[in-house]
Amino acid sequence: MTSQQPQEPQHTQPTRIRDLPLTLLEKRFSTASLALDYGAAIVRVRSRLGVFVRDFQQVYGAFAVADAPPFADFHTEVCGGQGLRSFLRPQSRFLIDGIQPFDPFPKAQALPHFEWGVNWCFAQRFNQHVLLHAGALALGDRAVIMAAPPGAGKSTLTAAMMLRGFRMLSDEFGVLCPRTGKLWPMLKPVALKNRAVDVIRDFADNAILGPLYKGTRKGDVAHLAPLAASVDARQRPARPCLLLFPSFRDGATLNIRRLPGEEAFARVAFNSFNYALLGQISFAAVAEVVAACPAFALEYSRLDEAIEAIRTMIAESTSDAVAA
Amino acid sequence: MIALGPADPCVHTLLALLADPHHVLSIGLPEWDKTIRLARQARLLGVLAQRIQPHDELRSAVPECVLGHLRSATVYSAHRGHLLRMELTALAKALPPELPVVVLKGAAYMLQKLDLARGRLPSDVDLMVAHSDLDPAEAALRNAGWEFEEIDAYTERYYRQWSHELPPLRVPGHPLEVDLHHTITPVTGRLKPDTTLLFADLQALPGERFLVLHPLDQILHAVVHLFQDSDLQAHLRDLVDIDGLLRAHVHSHDDWQALAARAVQHRVERPLWYALRYCRAWLTTPVPEDLPLATPPAAVIRLFDWVFPRCTLPRIPDQPAGISRRTAARLGSLRHQWLRLPPGLLVRQIAHKSMRAWRARITLRQQSE
Repeated sequence: MTSQQPQEPQHTQPTRIRDLPLTLLEKRFSTASLALDYGAAIVRVRSRLGVFVRDFQQVYGAFAVADAPPFADFHTEVCGGQGLRSFLRPQSRFLIDGIQPFDPFPKAQALPHFEWGVNWCFAQRFNQHVLLHAGALALGDRAVIMAAPPGAGKSTLTAAMMLRGFRMLSDEFGVLCPRTGKLWPMLKPVALKNRAVDVIRDFADNAILGPLYKGTRKGDVAHLAPLAASVDARQRPARPCLLLFPSFRDGATLNIRRLPGEEAFARVAFNSFNYALLGQISFAAVAEVVAACPAFALEYSRLDEAIEAIRTMIAESTSDAVAA
Repeated sequence: MIALGPADPCVHTLLALLADPHHVLSIGLPEWDKTIRLARQARLLGVLAQRIQPHDELRSAVPECVLGHLRSATVYSAHRGHLLRMELTALAKALPPELPVVVLKGAAYMLQKLDLARGRLPSDVDLMVAHSDLDPAEAALRNAGWEFEEIDAYTERYYRQWSHELPPLRVPGHPLEVDLHHTITPVTGRLKPDTTLLFADLQALPGERFLVLHPLDQILHAVVHLFQDSDLQAHLRDLVDIDGLLRAHVHSHDDWQALAARAVQHRVERPLWYALRYCRAWLTTPVPEDLPLATPPAAVIRLFDWVFPRCTLPRIPDQPAGISRRTAARLGSLRHQWLRLPPGLLVRQIAHKSMRAWRARITLRQQSE
């Protein structure tokens, strides 16, 4: 029997996950020889769930196919349910170091389950950084931190900015290194919820969206794939130069209001996953950011208008001078 | 070295690092990958970090991605230590000043500023009062807002009659639990240290409201805790505590003789013998050869040498545990039950637990139908 299986070429390895034949991707997942480099963290994933691998390829398409590195920060697995139940009601389980930190999801939602799992691991275990609950994007190496409570449209604005040429660091984690004062990318697919899915689908032709998962714990969810430009720069930290507190309001005209430092401080610090845990370290790190970056509240209804305003604000911010 | 059983080779790396942090100079990235996972599983990552980080020449030998995990563990253990300090402050306010209260284990190590407290992850607060002070101590805590979690009548009775502590207490919203003890081992246990002796030699700490055990009793408490009052599962960190206490409190020939004599007085020679055996073998604790402790029978040592590493050492969890580890875990658990309860009570406890499990299964079946 001649092998019909595609062979991985020796020299001209496909560089991105989207270029890899599905069978080869499945093989890599089943042997856990696939590692995801998110920038701040490297995650090894083992899985034999076909549905997971298929969905994964769509939203991680631009990520590099890399041989398993010698060191990974997290060792995870996405697997099916156990026992008789796995036939009656197929499930997906997320494991880190053999431990299942939360209840299984329906099997079809294996990808959102994995995304949630990686966020959880990161928020639990990466206390070497101040983890701001914020979107982070950059132009070159100058970054804007966008903090907002859930539902304010932070993910939508982050997604739209990436599609208009900003380099996305993360839609959820502002990974602030307390020793360098720089932001690390933690570049993951953007989980868009409910109305935001169609907003982003209609917003740009270059938007690559994964499957729509109906009725997850957070409503209807679809993931926006990070673009290659952001993926390729995921090992490049950026210096914060602007603090932004965006809020979307239907029909609002663009309104930008400068915030005093103490208010910006409270909004950034108390919107963090581990501010209290780091104690003085996080106080000093956030204080440095607030001292270096002008802070604004931004109310908007039209994405493009908001994005152009942000572009101008970054260009005008003088944080480099202050930091230097 | 005592054979480590089916342990991953990186368990050797972890033990070598715990024994001497200079071992970082000979570790490559693939070994770090597993060693960090093993240390985290053993709840020893913070301890490891604290032994490496203060030395510039060692820290600079650690790859940046590994250092991140060490820094994170240091931050986390400092945070837990901070919570512990806050809980102790609240407890000191709540307890009547005339009541002698002893802090045990992690809280004591912290107040004594022992090296072994650095990077250690305290899980809860262990306090001890004389049996006759139990009621006033309990009343004072409950007045000040500490509450028992909901437990059934049997569990309540189990704690109050047969255990050495009250059910866990907690102020709603406080992250740490308080265990209030009246001695250091279950009152039904086969090995019973001499409580009068424990209380006779309590030590005051300058500037602190709380007392601590005599240094030798502190060691023996840790020993009994691991070798009698546990199922041996994944308790490498308890052995690391014992190693740290020995290095902190026992230096001279006379100290070692006094430790052996104290173990005889408390009738815990056998557990001490095992503790010293594994401390010396795995953590290179400087234990002298000629201590006046009775050696257990050779066959028992062989059995223990088979069970102990399989139960106690962490493992890479990518594959399910093999048959030898599962057998060892079963043996460790049986041994624990046997040491903790006399045969009559043991039968009763097993009967009660199986009855409860059986009832739960019936209820579950009824619900699903």
